[in-house]
Amino acid sequence: MHIPDAFIPLPQAAVYWIIALVFIALALRWARRELSEEKIPLVAILAAGIFAIQAVNVPIPWGTSGHMMGAALAAIVLGSPFAAVFILTLVLIVQGVLFGDGGLTVMGANIINMGVIGGFVGYYSYRGLLPVFKSPYAPAFIAGWLSLFVASLACAVEMALAGTFPLELGLLSMGLYHAIIGIIEGGITAIAIYLITTARPDIMAEREVVPA
Amino acid sequence: MIEDLFFLEKQAYKKSPVHALDARVKIIIAFAAIIAIVAVPYSTMIYTVGAIFFAFFIVLWAFSLLSPAVYLKRLAVILPFGIFLIVFQIFFKNPYYESFTTIATLPFGIEIYAESVQFASILLVKFLVSVSFIILLSSTTRTQDLLEGAGRLGLPAEFTLTLGMMLRYLYVFGYMIRKMTQSLETRCFNPFDRTLPYRYRLEKVAYAVGTLFIRSYEQGERTYTAMLCRGYGRESHLYIAKKPLKGRDWTFLAAGLLLIIATPLLAWARIIVLA
Repeated sequence: MHIPDAFIPLPQAAVYWIIALVFIALALRWARRELSEEKIPLVAILAAGIFAIQAVNVPIPWGTSGHMMGAALAAIVLGSPFAAVFILTLVLIVQGVLFGDGGLTVMGANIINMGVIGGFVGYYSYRGLLPVFKSPYAPAFIAGWLSLFVASLACAVEMALAGTFPLELGLLSMGLYHAIIGIIEGGITAIAIYLITTARPDIMAEREVVPA
Repeated sequence: MIEDLFFLEKQAYKKSPVHALDARVKIIIAFAAIIAIVAVPYSTMIYTVGAIFFAFFIVLWAFSLLSPAVYLKRLAVILPFGIFLIVFQIFFKNPYYESFTTIATLPFGIEIYAESVQFASILLVKFLVSVSFIILLSSTTRTQDLLEGAGRLGLPAEFTLTLGMMLRYLYVFGYMIRKMTQSLETRCFNPFDRTLPYRYRLEKVAYAVGTLFIRSYEQGERTYTAMLCRGYGRESHLYIAKKPLKGRDWTFLAAGLLLIIATPLLAWARIIVLA
């Protein structure tokens, strides 16, 4: 889902950068204020962890391999969508500058898709569904799935606005592909949250809703 | 990607005239080249600009004394998604042309348009040039130098601190992933083994992911506490010593920027036309 350079014209890319910068600034403020202390280092190291998590090859039922995005996981465990914005921004900078995975001029768009949309959709769908299911696992699954699916749709819309991929086909192919990959994202998010609540329940930001 | 990290750093620690350039100069040149090539409108003048930029890249790569195989190996990792987007262009009409001529009709009423083929080639040129400069930058500059260079260029202290910590621990988790994969392998577990139930495989992979998350969180806690012990606080930031650019750096920077700015302008004014 990493849009490469040249697929979004410079003026549009600049607009995405500005929007992304606003969210990055808010995420920095969150890391300074909302985390119980000045825990920026913790989030930075967690970003390295999420980068590693994205490198884990995950089997997809029809034989290919994929990998996780991790935005929903980070947002749910740390209890804020800004955690995902912060972490995914760092991950995308490293991926873009060191590996050429995702362009520089379009990094704003990529941060919006994976960090902002992934984080906000993941976090708020989890929070919204929690009272319905009374257990964290089904909401975590849906949150993981939705975060990837909605982010991919946003990516398709941006490419269509740029005139580099037709809207209907983009929505269909990106949406369909990520609807399938999203099952993996959701499944791993749910199981990882099960593991975290079992092994280190104190990490989870909203402990009161997690059955002991 | 994590294995590439070690490969990358090995290349960056080699010695060459390009490696020896100040990181700031390389960052500016690479970013300028990418912004310039992206800024060129979707038109055929991109061939001229692209050819000259690519020639510039090849000269720099030659002076970096790195094997072309390194470039190709890294390119192969990056290409798939971009190439997928480019190849499909030939079947679509796009808003950048007014009329489309069909050059081939495939079954199911799929048509290939001459203009779309041209558009795909334009995208390919832009994509290749921008990716090449990123490969050059990251293959010839150590991550620590990149970070300090970015800091000297004015990247806010919050970012140099967080990115610096992230980069340092990237290698730690790189080794961790390697160990986890190896220990799974010694137990004959292969996530792609179809004789195992899918649910079981997914569960094992998810446990690996969850464990990585917890381990990175715990590492974060330890590092944070260690930093607090050494006086970390709100005003802490990564110390970056002042380092003036040398004459060689200035010369290269000026010449490189001149080339990057002049080429698109001259191509636009049709003073140089290669294609």
